[in-house]
Amino acid sequence: MAKGMFVDTTICTGCKACQVACKQWNGLSAEPAHFGKRPGVPYPVADNFTGDSYDNTGTLSATDWRHVRFIEQIDESRREKRWLFSSDSCKHCSDAGCLNACPTKAIVRTDLGNVVVQQETCIGCKFCIPSCPYGVISFSEETGTAHKCTLCNDRIHNGLGTACAKACPTGSIRFGELADLKKRADARLAQLKGKGEQARIYGYEEADGLNVFYLFADRPKVYGQPEDPVVPQRRLVLCSLVTILTALGVGAAALVSFRERLNGRDEEENHES
Amino acid sequence: MSPEIIQPPEWAWYYIAVYFFVAGTSAGAYFIGAMEELFGSGREREVSRAACYIAFPLLILVPIPLIADLGRPERFWHLFIYNQGGYPYLNLISPMSVGSWVLLIFSVCTLLSFLDNLVADRVISFPLFSRYYNRIPRRLYAVFGSLAGFFIAGYTGVLLNVTASPFWAATSPFMGALFIVSGASTGAAAISLYLIWRRRNSGGEVERLEAFDRVVMVSELVLIALLLILAGRTALPLMTLPFVAMFWLGTVALGIVAPLWFKYRFRRHPFGDAPVLAHYLCILAGGLLLRISLLQAGQL
Ligand code: SF4
Ligand code: SF4
Repeated sequence: MAKGMFVDTTICTGCKACQVACKQWNGLSAEPAHFGKRPGVPYPVADNFTGDSYDNTGTLSATDWRHVRFIEQIDESRREKRWLFSSDSCKHCSDAGCLNACPTKAIVRTDLGNVVVQQETCIGCKFCIPSCPYGVISFSEETGTAHKCTLCNDRIHNGLGTACAKACPTGSIRFGELADLKKRADARLAQLKGKGEQARIYGYEEADGLNVFYLFADRPKVYGQPEDPVVPQRRLVLCSLVTILTALGVGAAALVSFRERLNGRDEEENHES
Repeated sequence: MSPEIIQPPEWAWYYIAVYFFVAGTSAGAYFIGAMEELFGSGREREVSRAACYIAFPLLILVPIPLIADLGRPERFWHLFIYNQGGYPYLNLISPMSVGSWVLLIFSVCTLLSFLDNLVADRVISFPLFSRYYNRIPRRLYAVFGSLAGFFIAGYTGVLLNVTASPFWAATSPFMGALFIVSGASTGAAAISLYLIWRRRNSGGEVERLEAFDRVVMVSELVLIALLLILAGRTALPLMTLPFVAMFWLGTVALGIVAPLWFKYRFRRHPFGDAPVLAHYLCILAGGLLLRISLLQAGQL
């Protein structure tokens, strides 16, 4: 009975209602501007804001669990232009790198399929952070723990949808049963393809399927998503094997170097003969 | 893979890389000692004794940086006990989880070997150890301890390889192998330094240790080359300034190539104490710089 979200980026208008709703419901503070000097600029510049785009935060963070990305595509001649938006968050992967990595069981999956960091268990070891192939989960200096989108764990376990989906005025973010969402996504994909437009679903195969998946009008890379995400733990067996083989090799080198007992015996025998 | 989106963990090098180095050296020293214990003659025990005296004191330093780097240091025990259920917790696919447990096992082995040697050297007396010290138990710690030691020396590399950070991911599956080999080499250097300090650096045992170290250091160079080839473009940070000094000059040139040349050049001629001492120190510094470089290059 997995729940999830389908984000149709082609009808997103970049209003950021979802970003605000997420902050409000989850009580996430706004990041204050950090001003710094930039060479050649006479006035102080807020260097944690992009400052050259409607995209204000630039990335997801411990206090930005949702991030609306603004992608401006302008061709060389500056005649053709296109503005793409995509509201990004944790994908609640079916095979979640962050959850696999956590050594304390702080990250768990609930009965609705969403992946949650239990704040009272996390020790802030930060191993989950590079283990997420989508760069989602972030560390907060303030709490000393890892934070990310919970798929509004409290709301969805009380029969409500996620705050972002509720706030979205265009229906770009849909919350619901995964199976229903997929039907909707396939229908929309067929519609766009019928009109001859470029479109693709991102999230059916990646990491055994993402519970939050997207409809993109361009390559995933354009939207800041990895083209070929790999759940990092899938490398574990090979890495372990190679490391064990090396250990055996070093052991063998030691054996050859240190088997003085055998050498010693040889020498003694030679002596006797 | 689109590298710009992967977040670095921002592990502090002065905690984590130093931990990699200290634990690797301790583990390397211990398994060399254990090999000598298991395969060497019982007559000469200088190397295995030195190994035991190095492994444990180094290892008690280890929890300090590990715990200090946590966001919530007071909760470090959650690594062993699931705080919400109160039962022991082990996550088999998380090298950090398995590593924490093995670190515990390894500490026990190094402690037992340490005590065992203190008893054998009559520094302390402990009836249980004195009665059995020369028999089965010593071999038993050596077997379990060297298995745990190999694990400790290598798992940190595997831990880096199984992340999504582009450089660490691209160097898969060889980081663990490189860390084991480097641990063996810094462990051997630590043992040699200890023997110099105790003025026991002569005899057949030391020659055998040197022979072992030469093989290990050549493999280390091969593994570094392999790693860089695999890493390709993701290794570009290693060509920028702090890394050129740390990695190429520090680790490769002064930490491996120069000591190796020294070892081959003077392997038949006894050389004055000071250069010998210096070349061991170079090996140790090279090992530390290797961990710092590889850790930091993956966190840019
Ligand atoms: S997107 Fe990242 S943080 Fe979210 S579940 Fe997947 S691995 Fe975890
Ligand atoms: S930082 Fe917290 S959630 Fe992330 S792996 Fe460590 S203990 Fe688990």
